[in-house]
Amino acid sequence: MPTPPPTDPNAAEGATKSTGPDAPRRSLAVRVRRFIERPRVFALLLIAPALIFFFVWNIIPVLTLIGVSFYNYSMVTGMPPRYIGLGNYEDIVYSFRLWESFGRTLSWVVVTVGIETVLGIAIGILFWGSVRLPGRRLALTLLFTPMLMTPLAAGIFFRLMYEPSIGIINYVTRWAGLGTFSFLSDRSLAFAAVVFVDVWMWTPFMVLITLAALGSVPKAELEAAEVDRLPWWRRLVTVVLPHAKFILMIGILLRTIESFKTMDLVFNMTGGGPGTTTELVALTLWRRAFEAFNLGWSSALAFILLLMAIAFTSIFLFVLNLRRRQQEREASA
Amino acid sequence: MNGSRRLQQSAYHLGLWLVAIIFFLPIFWVVLNAFKSRRDILAVPPQLAFTPTLDNFRDLFARETFAPYMTASVTMSVAAVLIAIAVAFLASYSFSRFKPRGTDFLMFLLLSVRMVPAAAVVIPIYMMYNLVGWREDWLGMTLFYAMFSIPFSVWILKGFIDGVSERYDETALVNGGSRFHVVFKVILPQVKPGLVASFIFNLIFVWNDFLFSFMLGGRTTSMIPVLLSTGLYADGGVDWPFISALTGIYVLPPVIVVFLFQRFLLVGMTFGTVRGEV
Repeated sequence: MPTPPPTDPNAAEGATKSTGPDAPRRSLAVRVRRFIERPRVFALLLIAPALIFFFVWNIIPVLTLIGVSFYNYSMVTGMPPRYIGLGNYEDIVYSFRLWESFGRTLSWVVVTVGIETVLGIAIGILFWGSVRLPGRRLALTLLFTPMLMTPLAAGIFFRLMYEPSIGIINYVTRWAGLGTFSFLSDRSLAFAAVVFVDVWMWTPFMVLITLAALGSVPKAELEAAEVDRLPWWRRLVTVVLPHAKFILMIGILLRTIESFKTMDLVFNMTGGGPGTTTELVALTLWRRAFEAFNLGWSSALAFILLLMAIAFTSIFLFVLNLRRRQQEREASA
Repeated sequence: MNGSRRLQQSAYHLGLWLVAIIFFLPIFWVVLNAFKSRRDILAVPPQLAFTPTLDNFRDLFARETFAPYMTASVTMSVAAVLIAIAVAFLASYSFSRFKPRGTDFLMFLLLSVRMVPAAAVVIPIYMMYNLVGWREDWLGMTLFYAMFSIPFSVWILKGFIDGVSERYDETALVNGGSRFHVVFKVILPQVKPGLVASFIFNLIFVWNDFLFSFMLGGRTTSMIPVLLSTGLYADGGVDWPFISALTGIYVLPPVIVVFLFQRFLLVGMTFGTVRGEV
């Protein structure tokens, strides 16, 4: 960092005015200003508000969370919290319902992200050459809007559309001669019905990512492939994929994390039911915390989920760094 | 030859439009429902031809719960995001230029906060707010949402500030500008797109939130999604006209945002980690 040059007006001001009658006060103001101008002080000053927010709303809550997770603390019984060491964690390890919920969440993540990725890449490639599409902006608006929908609202109005008697979807299935389904209360259909809604909401995101990934492929290499008359699939594998893979990976990772967090969507659509067939782990946690008010146990689970989130984030940043390194390599080559 | 090429092109464009329309159909359907009378909404088979009515909206606006929830939705999301952007802009300038020790670690922690399921975040905040008395409090809720919006804004804005050459800072300093002058008069105008992007997307994220509002908010500090959830049932059945009208209104801002700010969509949906336009 450059030190303030001799022509700095503050310095000049301080030098000339310090001879006046109220010199001490002025020079104090100047000194404060100079103090603030020091790189280290200034850097800290700018971060301070963010650090305060971080401390009050992240550090304190996480410490609370860890603390409470060692207690048997229920808000229903009215009993004072009792220290039970790792009791809650032990209970979590042996909780069959929770493991079931974790397993369900795993298949939820795999199925939704899998379908969204395949569909998104397909539609993205379809939209690749769409620069001259009339009304492109409006068309893309229609396509991209689902991902910015309020998830709770999406869950609720899909419930209207899934309704066995008045729902539009059942009208279509009846018209097609398939009969009537009660999608959200049938144990064998509910999960698939919720997956469908998630796919509707988030496939556009993967389309967006695919378009960005395709946009990162250098034009020159595509033209070279054109000249070489490579078949389309070899073009995809040898030219497009090496450039596109990082952005695609970033997109898939972001989607995986978001999918793992899903809760609002099912909250009013199925409420986790019928039975527990659509109860994802976030909902299990919410229920134990705010329906059973078992805060000790829930804190322990929340802390485990926090560690998982940190692990996910590390993977995400690892891929991000891979990409940065590749870009630097390409820039230097 | 030329004719068949053009035909091919038209078919291709038609296909693209079809895909876009299919994705929009559910939203179109709910907005359409908002203009139907109760009888038409519940009609079997579903009515495509009907006489549009504004009754649902009239009922909605007449409900005493609507105004406070809508006010909370608008004021809290705007206030929280403005606070978050001010805090995040200063911090990200510092992160970008001075790179204080621990910058990478802090950026990492900030990101992880957003990766935790909402239910896990809300538990400790719930206990803390109960203790301090910030539940059902406008300021408490707004500051919470500001915290919630800071990580995203820092990530986006740091990316944008990194993109502004440090030469600008040096030139301004050498010419006698103070550091505040550099931050607010030199850098700030150059990262306006970043400010707009983080404003818009944080606004949507807060606007869409349900769980925090539901668990921490009270009657005057809860946002519309809570009203959707609690007002779902009436008279022993689902109150579809009410739900349709409310959803119809609430989904409009996201649609408008996607249309007006399409070039920020990518940066907004990827935490600022992927830049570019589509």
